[in-house]
Amino acid sequence: MASSDGIALLRHAARRAGRRARAAAVFGRIALLLPLPLGYAVLVLTLVKALRLDTASQRGWWLLGLLPLVIFLVGVGRVLFSRRPSWQGSIALDQFHGFHDRVTSALSFSQVPVAERTPLIEAAIEDGVALAGKLDPRRAVPVGLPRELAVTLGLLLGLGALSVLEVQKLRQLPAPPSFEPMVMSADDIELFRDVAKELQVKNDDPNALVAVHRFNQLVEDIAEHRLDRHEVFQRMGDLERDLKDNLELDRDARDDGLKGLARELEKSGLSKAAANALDEKRLADAEKALRELAEKLKKKEGRPSPAELDKLRQALEKASQSSEQRARSIDQRRRELEEEHKSLLKKKKSDQADAGASPDQDKKLADNERRLEHLEREKNRAERSQRQMSELDKQLAQAARDLMRDAGQSAQDLEQGAQDINRMAKQETSEEQKQELLKKLQEMRELMRQQGKGGKDQMQRLQKFGQRARGQSGAGQGKPGEGQGEGQPGGKKDGPLRRGSGPGSVSIDIPVPQSGSSQGQGQPSGDKPGGSDPGSGPNYGTGHDPNLAGNATDLKGKTTDVTAAGADTGQGAASSQVIYGAAERGFVGRGYKQVFTDYQTVAERALSQDQIPSGYRFYVRRYFQLIRPRE
Amino acid sequence: MTDAEQAREEVAEFQKRIGALREEIGRVIVGNREVIDGVLSCMLGSSHALLEGVPGLGKTMLVRTLADVLGLEFSRIQFTPDLMPADIIGTVVLEEGAGGARQLEFRRGPIFANIVLADEVNRATPKTQSALLEAMQEHRVTVGRTTHVISEPYFVLATQNPLEMEGTYPLPEAQLDRFFYKLEVPFPSRDELHAIIDRTTSTQHAQVKRVLTREQILQMQALVRRVPVARHVQDYAIRVLQATHPTGEEAPELVKRFVRTGGSPRGAQAMLLGAKVRALFDGRFAASIDDVKATALSALRHRVLLSFEGEAEGVAPDRVIGEILKKLPGSKE
Repeated sequence: MASSDGIALLRHAARRAGRRARAAAVFGRIALLLPLPLGYAVLVLTLVKALRLDTASQRGWWLLGLLPLVIFLVGVGRVLFSRRPSWQGSIALDQFHGFHDRVTSALSFSQVPVAERTPLIEAAIEDGVALAGKLDPRRAVPVGLPRELAVTLGLLLGLGALSVLEVQKLRQLPAPPSFEPMVMSADDIELFRDVAKELQVKNDDPNALVAVHRFNQLVEDIAEHRLDRHEVFQRMGDLERDLKDNLELDRDARDDGLKGLARELEKSGLSKAAANALDEKRLADAEKALRELAEKLKKKEGRPSPAELDKLRQALEKASQSSEQRARSIDQRRRELEEEHKSLLKKKKSDQADAGASPDQDKKLADNERRLEHLEREKNRAERSQRQMSELDKQLAQAARDLMRDAGQSAQDLEQGAQDINRMAKQETSEEQKQELLKKLQEMRELMRQQGKGGKDQMQRLQKFGQRARGQSGAGQGKPGEGQGEGQPGGKKDGPLRRGSGPGSVSIDIPVPQSGSSQGQGQPSGDKPGGSDPGSGPNYGTGHDPNLAGNATDLKGKTTDVTAAGADTGQGAASSQVIYGAAERGFVGRGYKQVFTDYQTVAERALSQDQIPSGYRFYVRRYFQLIRPRE
Repeated sequence: MTDAEQAREEVAEFQKRIGALREEIGRVIVGNREVIDGVLSCMLGSSHALLEGVPGLGKTMLVRTLADVLGLEFSRIQFTPDLMPADIIGTVVLEEGAGGARQLEFRRGPIFANIVLADEVNRATPKTQSALLEAMQEHRVTVGRTTHVISEPYFVLATQNPLEMEGTYPLPEAQLDRFFYKLEVPFPSRDELHAIIDRTTSTQHAQVKRVLTREQILQMQALVRRVPVARHVQDYAIRVLQATHPTGEEAPELVKRFVRTGGSPRGAQAMLLGAKVRALFDGRFAASIDDVKATALSALRHRVLLSFEGEAEGVAPDRVIGEILKKLPGSKE
């Protein structure tokens, strides 16, 4: 083999080995650095999956991932494009084959000019060339898979697994609407049924009857457990709103109308009695006076003089027009004011365009607006009054017209007017019934509120309260004549205050709501003292230093047994006995009813006049509800 | 016959002679192949060796045997603290001639031999050591105004005992650098000890014959110098040398921490000359990186000076050089 050919072969083999060495280095670097971006990708993907990052948040994380990617690319690029040692391939061949650099030396010496070559150099070149056939670059520089590639592979698998993995997120499904019917005790249902029945009997006003019917329906729905708490309160609210709606307005409008009427009728001596009655809202007397006037007109004897009749006519005529005139005059004033307001606004605008509005103008405008609002309300009231009085006005106008032609006919007209007044009186009664219904609705709402606000404990307390109110024994009931209770100022937390009521009776737990303090000095019979923790409430019963109450009552020597005081003398039943007996017999009996009414009247008076903690009002009323007479 | 073929024959002859040399020495010296090769390398590299080993390992025997097989003039100097330079160099004496005339004549010391064994060189005073080392470097001795040339080949083998440091004068770094190799004579193995005892405790004494002439030795030394070294091999030797310096570009962490000063350029020279000798030993025409690696320890271990931390940590120079050879890639160009 010629030396040059041999050198070419050596060079080729060395280059090949060099390329393989470079490739192996690149693979090694890839395997070393690839876990960096891959690991980052795994991290970000985990975050994305676990934290459910939105697109905007993801973008930041992925952009940050450019850093490890750049590190990877630069690292690999440096290996790929860096200058490698010239003899890397040949040295690798020498080392693999154990040639002691004979190939590399031959290649190196081949670059020495021939003229400068020594015999030993020539010998070294020939020695190297002789090895050309034995070189195996593929085995000398194996391009195998780097061990670090396992990490990359693992990360790739993890990345794939993560990408297909869907993190199950527990989605909170909306809880199915639970229907918890409003529960009212049978006794309370009966109470409110009785109320409805009573109102129905008393009332013949169609509007009031409708309201009563709605109330009755509400009670029945509660009894049938068809309504939940929310619906009950909603329906009660609707009913109350409807009842209240216009009730006061109607009354005021009617009063206005009647007053206007009275003012005009007063001008005639014949109708003065009716005018006075109307002015004082004695509608029955006014009706009676008008009927008497009609009778007087019908009679031929003792008929009023023509002058009196003329005065009456004028009075009736003006009275018939009073409501209308009043409405008209209010409307007129309102219009004038409206015009003035408009002009003021216009002026203000022009002034603003010039130099700005003055404070006086603003004040005047505000005042104007207030007056307009007032007149608007007045106008509505007058129109309402006009509507209510329209029938009576018509009758009075007719009476005035007929009075000059036929006094008898005029008398009939006045009788019609009297009937209208009667109708108004009835309307007033109906309003009272509505008020009664409203009151019952409020009681019902308070009962439900009390039942609902304290949870189960409050329900239990109310049940116990009910049991004891009816004379049934409950837990912790003291024996007659045994023990003594002395209530301490109530604490902040709800707690029953037990009040002793004397021997033979039962103590009644009054669940004190909220932070109202209680102050009690129990009479003997309670099984233990009442409220314990001193506390302060916003309103009543703020409590006081226990020392202020003085020494505890020494019951041994000073108390008096109430039962003993109410002993039967044979001259009639003592009230206490009636109550005691009533509870046993189921609260029936006429005597009990009378006593109950007396006591309830006193209690209601006290509730309306005295300052009583609002929490107690409910229990007092509740107590009377529970012990009400039964048929 | 072409030049290349002639060169090939020369190399083959070299290898043959070395083989014969080894065989003859092996008749007296048991084992220690590395040390023998190291000593031969030093001799063929026209330089000197420092042998270090505990007493009784056959250091003196090796040198004497070498002198016998080479047929060269041999002298042995036992260095002691009271040894004076004149004792080894020689001195001028007044001598009466045949005619009764008296004249000053220089009487040569033991240093004027082809092979000089400087036994326990570290026991002499620095002054005496310096006298020896000048002769080693210059191959000549100046006494008064007269310079006396030492005949070639000139080969000094100095020994020192690493254990007995009491009352010694360790060779300064500059003087250590004059030694081509520092060879550590290992303790013989069990089999070698058997052989040593067998040979030395019987009545039979091995006789060696002269296998090389002075001229042949000089030819071989010349051939060593002609062995070509490829650029990458030379570069490797230089990089190894540079790496022995803490400030070297490719110095490993161990060097940076524990080395005070690295090898001098003589270290690279020693490595490459040794590599050439090794190439010829193997019948190759050029030195290789492997040859450099093989000679690095002997050529550099006495040239690498450890720092205080290195000595305190007990770091051996061999460990430092081994680390360099391990970390340094074969080729960088």
